[in-house]
Formats: sequence, C-alpha cells, structure tokens
Amino acid sequence: MTFVEYKQLNPFQRFAYNFKKFFKNIPGAVGRFFKGIGKAIVKFFKTIVNGFKNYGTTFAKGDWATKLSYVIFGVGDISKGKIYKGILFFLSEVLYIMYIIFFGWQFISKFGTLGTVETHTVQKGIIKQTVFGDNSMLILLYSVLTIVITIVVFAIYIANIKDAYKHQVMRENGEKPTSFRHDLKDFMDGKYHITLLSFPVLMIGIFNILPLIFMILIAFTNYDKAHMPPGTLFTWVGLDNFTSLFDIVNTPKKAKTFLELTEWTLIWAVVATFTNYILGMIVALMINKKGIKLKALWRTLFVITIAVPQFVSLLLMNQMLQTNGAINVLLTDISHLFGGTERVEIQFLNSSTLMARMTVIIVNIWVGIPYTILSMSGILMNIPEDLYESARIDGATPFKTFTAITLPYMIFVTTPQLITQFVGNINNFNVIYLLTGGGPTTEAYYQAGRTDILVTWLFTLSMTSQDYGLAAAIGILVFIVCATLSLIIYNNSKSMKDEEAFS
Amino acid sequence: MKKILAVLLAGMMAVTAFSGCGGGSTESSGSESGGGEGGNTSVEVKDDLVDESVFGDEDNITLKVWAPDKAVALVKQQVEDFKAAYPGKTFTKIEVVAQGEGDAGTQILNDASVAADVFSFASDQLNKLVDAKVIADVAFADYVTEKNAEETVTAGTIKNTLYAYPETNDNGYYLVYDKTVVSDEQAKTLEGVLEGCKAAGRKFIFDCGNGFYSCTFAFTGGVKIDGFEEDGVTQKFTEYKEDEAVATLQAFSKLMHDYKGVFTSLDVAQISSGFSTKTCGAGVDGSWNTKSDQDALGDNFGAAKLPTIKVNGEDKQLISMFGYKYIGVNAASKFPAASQILALYLSGEKCQKQRAEQLGWGPSNKAVQEDPVVKESPVLQAIQQQSQNACVQVNIAATLWSPMGNLGNKLIADQTNPDDAEFFKKLLQQTIENVRDEG
Repeated sequence: MTFVEYKQLNPFQRFAYNFKKFFKNIPGAVGRFFKGIGKAIVKFFKTIVNGFKNYGTTFAKGDWATKLSYVIFGVGDISKGKIYKGILFFLSEVLYIMYIIFFGWQFISKFGTLGTVETHTVQKGIIKQTVFGDNSMLILLYSVLTIVITIVVFAIYIANIKDAYKHQVMRENGEKPTSFRHDLKDFMDGKYHITLLSFPVLMIGIFNILPLIFMILIAFTNYDKAHMPPGTLFTWVGLDNFTSLFDIVNTPKKAKTFLELTEWTLIWAVVATFTNYILGMIVALMINKKGIKLKALWRTLFVITIAVPQFVSLLLMNQMLQTNGAINVLLTDISHLFGGTERVEIQFLNSSTLMARMTVIIVNIWVGIPYTILSMSGILMNIPEDLYESARIDGATPFKTFTAITLPYMIFVTTPQLITQFVGNINNFNVIYLLTGGGPTTEAYYQAGRTDILVTWLFTLSMTSQDYGLAAAIGILVFIVCATLSLIIYNNSKSMKDEEAFS
Repeated sequence: MKKILAVLLAGMMAVTAFSGCGGGSTESSGSESGGGEGGNTSVEVKDDLVDESVFGDEDNITLKVWAPDKAVALVKQQVEDFKAAYPGKTFTKIEVVAQGEGDAGTQILNDASVAADVFSFASDQLNKLVDAKVIADVAFADYVTEKNAEETVTAGTIKNTLYAYPETNDNGYYLVYDKTVVSDEQAKTLEGVLEGCKAAGRKFIFDCGNGFYSCTFAFTGGVKIDGFEEDGVTQKFTEYKEDEAVATLQAFSKLMHDYKGVFTSLDVAQISSGFSTKTCGAGVDGSWNTKSDQDALGDNFGAAKLPTIKVNGEDKQLISMFGYKYIGVNAASKFPAASQILALYLSGEKCQKQRAEQLGWGPSNKAVQEDPVVKESPVLQAIQQQSQNACVQVNIAATLWSPMGNLGNKLIADQTNPDDAEFFKKLLQQTIENVRDEG
C-alpha cells in the first residue's frame, strides 16, 4: 500500500491496517531475532577456530623461548627483556596451580556428582558427634568459582603466548620492548579505560555473574526439601525441573499452575503497564493544558503518593481492603445513611478471582500513575511549540494535533520506558505480594494462589516449600520470556530504527 | 588530575557495591576421633547436674545460647547459676543472644558452624534439623525421658533417638472469651460461643486463612497428620472416613454462613484489640498472646479448651495443632559435652519452674506441671486440656500450611454452599493431594 492510498483510508480502516500489519510483522521479527542469535553463534565459533589456528602457527614460528611459554608462562617475555610482565605471567601460573592443589581440586573433582559422602555420626564417649560429609551446595559454589578462575587463567595463558610472539617479532625487527614506566603511563593515557573499568568489572564478576551462574546451575539439580545440605546430598537431574512445568501427564498440578500463572502474569503485565501509561498520559495532558489554573498544585497532589514508600501504601491498602477494613466500614456508614441496616463486608482480596485481580489492578493504577504523570509532564513540556503553531495555522483540530504530534512524539520517546515497565510488571513482586499475598487461595494450584504471578510463586517455592531447583527453573524461564519480548519490541520500535526523528 | 579523581570515584562506587556483602562461610568439619566406647550412654544425673568428669577434657569453655527475646534476661541469670554449679570449670564466656524460636532452626541450617551451641526452637522444625544432621542427640536421654511428660518426649523422638530437651508444653491455641459475652457454659460448644457473640453483636475471630489454625477443620473431621512417609518428606495422614470428614467440614461451613458477620476470619492480633474496642466477643488465640488478652479483658478474661461442634447430631471436640518447645544442641559445637550439660540444666526442673512463674510458660517437666503455679492458672489448664485433643506439631511437611489455609478460606468464602457435599469432598481430596505434593 502506498502512502497516498493509506491517507485515503478512514480511521477505522487505518486502524485495521495497522493492527494487521503489527501481527503480520511478528513472525518476521521473531525470525530476525533467532537469525541474529544464529549469526552470533556462528561468529563465536569462527573466532574459536581462528584462535586455534593462531595457536598452532605461533608455535611453529616461535623461537625456543616462545615455545617454552606454551608450558611456563612468561618465559618469552623475560628472555626478551620484558621482565616485569614475564614475572606477572609466571606468578599467575604459580598462584593458579597452588589454588587448584590446595583449594579448587577438592571441589571441582566432585563437580560431576556433587558429592558422595553423606553426613553421619560417630560416638565419642557419651556424646554422639556429627561428622559432616560432602556439602553439595559448597561443592557447586566453589566449582563455579574454580571454573571461572580457570577461564580467566586461560585468557592470561593466551595473552602470554601472544605477548611472547609479539616481542619475538619486535626483536627480529630490531625494536626494544617498552619500559615499565612507559607502560604505567600508558594506563593513564591510551589504556585509560582499562584502569577505570577493571575494578568495577571485577566486582560485578564476583557479586553478580558468579552467583548468577550458581543459581542457573541449581535449576538442573534436585535441590529441594528432600535433598538439603549439609544433611543430605543433591545431584544433577538434567532438565527434569523444566519438564515438570510442562508435563501435564505426570505432574499435572505443577504444569497447570505454571501455565495458568504465566497466562495471568502476561495479562497482568499488559494491563498494568497500559492502564498506567494511558491514564497517566491523560492526567498529564489535562494538567498541562493551557488555561488550567494552579498547575503546580495539581501536580504536587498527585506526586504526594510517591512521598510515601510504595510498600507502606500497599500494606495499608491491604489492611483497608480486609473484610473489617476501612473501606468496608466506610461503605457500611454510607449504606446506613441511606437506611441500610446490614454491615457491608465485601471480600475484595480473598474470595473471588475476578474481584481480587481487579482490585490489584486498580490499586496498581493508584500507586503507579503519579510516576507516569511525572515523566509525561516533562516530555509534554519538551515538544517544540512551533509544531503546534504550524498545525494551528494549517487549521488542525485539537484532536488532530494530539494524534499527529503529541502521541507519536510521546510513543517515540517512551517506548524504551514502556518496555522497562512491562518487564518490571512481569516481575512486579511488591504489588502482588504485599497487597494480596497471592490470594485468594485455591486447591487447584501447587503452592500458589489466584493472583500469584510467576515471581511471587517462585518466592513461595523457595521460601516455604523449599523447591529450590524448581524455583531456579522458573526464574530462567521468566528471564527468557522477558529478554525475548524486550529485544523484539525494542528492535522494532521507532526509537531504535530512526533515532534522528524529532531531533 | 581529572583522571585521578575519576579513578577515585569509580573505586569508591565499587567499594560501596562491595560493602554489605561481607561474611564468608567457613567449612564445617567434625573431628573423626572417638567411636571407641559405644553403648555406655547412661550417666548419673542429680538435680539436673552431672559430675564434672562428664565435661571430659573441655575447659576454658565458650558457648553461645539462643533464647527468645522475652526470655533473654531470665536465661542470662540461669546461665550464671549454671556457672556457679560447676566451680571446677572455667567458663570463658557464655553469651545469650535473642533469637526467635520460630526460625531458630532455619538460622542453624544457614550455617551451623557459626550458630549458637545451645538453642531453643519450636517442635515443627525438629525434623528439618534432624534431616540436616545439625542437631546432636540428647546425651542424657534416660534422665530426660523420666522427668518430662510423655508426649513431649515422644514428639522429640525420631527413629528411637531423642534429639532435643523438652522445654515447654504450651505451644498451641485455645479459646479466649469475654465473660460478659460468652458464659462458661456456652464456651463448651462452638454453637454456644457463636450464639453468645451474636446476641451481644460481637465477633468470634478464627484465622481461617492461616494453616496453623485452619488445620483444625481437617483434624476435627478425623483427617489427622501422622508424621512422614518412608521418603521423609511426604506428609502421612491417619486413616479417616471420608463421609465423616466431609460432614464435619460442612458443619463448620454451615456455622460460618449461618453466623455470617459473627464468625470472622481475621489475624489473631485482632482478638486482643477487638476485646479492647468491645467488637470481639471470643476468639481462638495462641498461648503467646495470653498476656495481651488478659490485659484487654481484666477480670472478664475467660480461657477454655477449644469447644465442640455438632456434626450429625453428635458433639465433636475440635482437634488443634499443638507444639512443644525444645532446647537443642548444635552438632557442630566446639564444646559438645559442655553444651549438652548446659542444655540439660536449662531444660531442668528449676529453670522450668522459674519460667512458669516469671514468663507464664507451660512446663513439660512432670514435677513442675503439678506445681500450684501451673495448677491454679486457668490458661495453663486450658492449654493442658487442649493438648490432650491435639495433633503434635512435629514432622510437618513444608507444604502443609498453604493448602490447609486454603481449606479454611474456602469454608468461609461467600460463594461456598454448605449443603454441596460434592464440593467439600473434592476440596478435601485436592487439599490432601496438595499437602502430599502429588501431581
């Protein structure tokens, strides 16, 4: 369809066209996404193959010192006069070997089984004493640490070979290696990014990446209430945790819980995100309209909800919505005014599924829109006034200005924020957990209630029923869903494709 | 200059990220020595004290004790008495730290090697501790068995081994009521309690959504818990008649719907505040809230065992969940003998009597149970009577609580029709299936 044809359609047809286009584009977007992943994998393997090639050719071309560097780190550097670097390489090898001998080996050697010696007791005089055996959790944890360290040392090993060969070539060309002082200066100049980032990267590695790998690996073990270290061992079970979430024949209850909670999680994320977005935008537009008096006052009133910490408002809301809570008392009083005699006792949170879900969404709107109003107001004030002026001169109606200028601009600027909010709502632990605690309860689900979303279910599984393996598996699945959706939406958004628009 | 500043700032940011993540875990390992003399486990104990030779080669003893917040002051004093009782030994330091009994077990499991040597905990955690093998067997089992009430010893025994020193016999709930609303006679039946509350326009509070209380509905119907299956994690139930259980659930649900607005499901904290504001007439409350209930009601405070309910024209006693508190010894303790001797002393007659007098805790020691302090307390009597009609809170699967809470929620829910027997049958089956994690 050409642009002119498009312009001739009436608004309904346009909507239908755009709607169809969106869904038609989804398979293509998904396809591109996986193609991208495929390309990345191919590139990765190519790099590895090239690495091995270089590894071989360097050895063939190397002199005795370079060849010796393949076994003893740093020999090549030292023989070429680059003493300090050679010593550092050599030290890292010595430290690594010592680490493996005195610490790493006892864990990494049991990585395949996660331990075989059970904890038992021995009699000592009149007192029985417990002798602790293998601790599967510590074995897993320190094995991960050892593997990561090994990878780092391997990188150092490759760097050592490359460096040895580089200096060999430099000597053949009659060049001298750079001095220690020169290298140090370089770290404040050419390699400044390394100086600045090495420490933060190290810390992220230790405190984020390591635990993350550990948690991911737990999803492939049977770490649960029946396999609790240090008393008992746990071991690898492959994909059992994942299959139990989909297997409606052997584990019908878990599968039903997972599938229905996923459905509700997605509904919740979509509804919560868009109600907040649209309503927040409407309120922001109203406040920012020309001729509205006391703008600052209205804005402040809405923003005051932010001043109370969210979890406090949510807990208060939970109390107010109880059967004997403030809202029911208020309703009772109102009904008495009109001659009612009965007490009003609406069960907002613990009786009907629909009622509880609606309540959650409405409370979420209440706590959420002030944030949208804040950011929207900022964006609205940023729209160039001359756009509106020329629209007015051309005789555009206010509605037309909204759909042709304001809305596209807002969507353009806020798509990344929308994605963040959507993902944030998929993982919106606070609102669900503090407001309903997952209720209304049901016997149809395994350890979950009707308003539980996947993350709150994950919480109950790990905190109450101690199904750590299962919980880790759910965590991974949630991540996959979030990451895929975000990447697809973001890569197809205007903000990504056409950065220059509106600037 | 700018660059140096930038490095400093980056460093500081990294350090802030780093702080707060302190603490490392030390690997715990036991000494392999010993194992020589096996069977000889009987040692002479007199007045909760033993001969100093039992300490073996332990001296310059350092111990850590966990006690609940309210009891710390008293336990500190008892520890001083303990030190005085063994003048021949040097105690470098015995530290008493506040730690709730509810999650002491979890804390021990987190890292046994840095946890307390001697700790009090609630009986529901016992199997977890035994499974993880972080709790040591009781060294003076014969003496402890002889001195304490049978049910507390039985509940502390797993596979013929006594694992903990009984400390109290009171961890349960019972009926509290305002005597101006509910008469002592009415307090005997649930129907009477509700009638009294209705007449006065007050509420009867029972926390139906909390599995700890709402398991009463299942237990009363004959669906009682009975430890674990062979696998050590699946909850076992006693044999029960499904018709009877369903009829009981229906009876409960019918009462809840007939007395809508009176029979309310609220947190137990609402009971004492309801007494103060004269909105609550009676409730099922835990023994740990006794003090605040008494404060709210003064002379009108009434306490009794749980009432009966009419099922098919027959009065049935409500069966509750009932737990005990124990003192345990950490298996990873560096002073195992001293820890055992201290636990023995703290769980002994003298200490239990002090706690009954000063804290109002129900004793497990047979001699203290006969003491006037206990005999004349209506609360402790009510609790003791209820303990005769209860399932013991030991060997509880982690999956018990939420399905039981759901059962209570469903009984009281507006949409539930109390006459629909089929619904209750299905509900019961599903609940048991969920507790046992089948499917």
